[in-house]
Amino acid sequence: MASLVAACMTSHAPNMTATPAAAPEQRARFLAGLAEMRRRLVAARPDLVIMFVNDHVQNFFYDNLPAYCVGVGDTHWAPKGAASFLKIPQRQVPGAGAWGKALLAAGLEAGFDLAVSHDLEFWDDVSVPAHFLMPEGTLPILPVLTNCVAPPLPTPRRSWALGQFIRRFVDAQPGHERVAMIATGGISHWIGVPNTGHISPEWDRWVLDTIADGRGEELAGLTWEQIERDGGNGGQEIRNWISVLAAVPGVKGEVLAYEPVKEWLTGCGAVWMQV
Amino acid sequence: MSDYHLNRVLYDRAREHKMAESIGPDELAGYDLTAEERAALAAGDLDALFRLGANPYLIRRVFRRRYAL
Repeated sequence: MASLVAACMTSHAPNMTATPAAAPEQRARFLAGLAEMRRRLVAARPDLVIMFVNDHVQNFFYDNLPAYCVGVGDTHWAPKGAASFLKIPQRQVPGAGAWGKALLAAGLEAGFDLAVSHDLEFWDDVSVPAHFLMPEGTLPILPVLTNCVAPPLPTPRRSWALGQFIRRFVDAQPGHERVAMIATGGISHWIGVPNTGHISPEWDRWVLDTIADGRGEELAGLTWEQIERDGGNGGQEIRNWISVLAAVPGVKGEVLAYEPVKEWLTGCGAVWMQV
Repeated sequence: MSDYHLNRVLYDRAREHKMAESIGPDELAGYDLTAEERAALAAGDLDALFRLGANPYLIRRVFRRRYAL
């Protein structure tokens, strides 16, 4: 049977790659954390990675806006040429189309009516973490997208349930694939709102301590209002983390890096789950 | 009044990575906007756009140059 061999979470931000000269000391410490995450990912020898990420209103607009969507394409743009603001060369990364279609069908059977996309263009959500964690661009990526940016958003409790379901799905696959899960996004940040640039290290530390203690399910009890107040509108991306936490319930996390980087407008964490 | 068309203005620019300091009437042909929305776009008034229901990620993307960081 397939098996889950790694689970981890990292923040994403365009300025991680767009402004490489900014905040050099914090940048070096955070990227050292991502380098350690990469080392562990490589050591886990995954055959594919399920990435829990969110759109930034580039694929999905208000004319058609899914709460959850699985990307079943055989490739994904990460990034596409026009996304030059990331300062990452255009590339296509391999998808995991057969797995994605199986997940779609299994979800419909289990009561998770996921939307589906065959053609996704990623910005910092996938492109930036993949640039540091999977620079070779050879590991197939199965993206699971959660609406974290255009309220009303799915509840954190629902994201927990989705993560539980996807873990059961992985465990039920008949092959021998080794599967990694990576969530991106968070932790606290305020983007495009009147107090853009604010970061809450207090909330970030609470999130990280909760995960380190193996109490990740407490995050599933958060409400939109609590997250918006304490973690900002960017903090809503914690839903991606919650789905990965649900896949490894009770497991303790190891914080590989934490930096509240003003120049990246984000409280940036990188956490490895001790699967 | 729906904020759909206001967001449509920003989305159409964000998709093309067209940055703006402000968006004047000559660029808004074909969009169904209120006078207040048009005024906020023309002034590049980010707080007003937010108040009128513009998605903050779209505000940030389109008016990127208006931010210090």
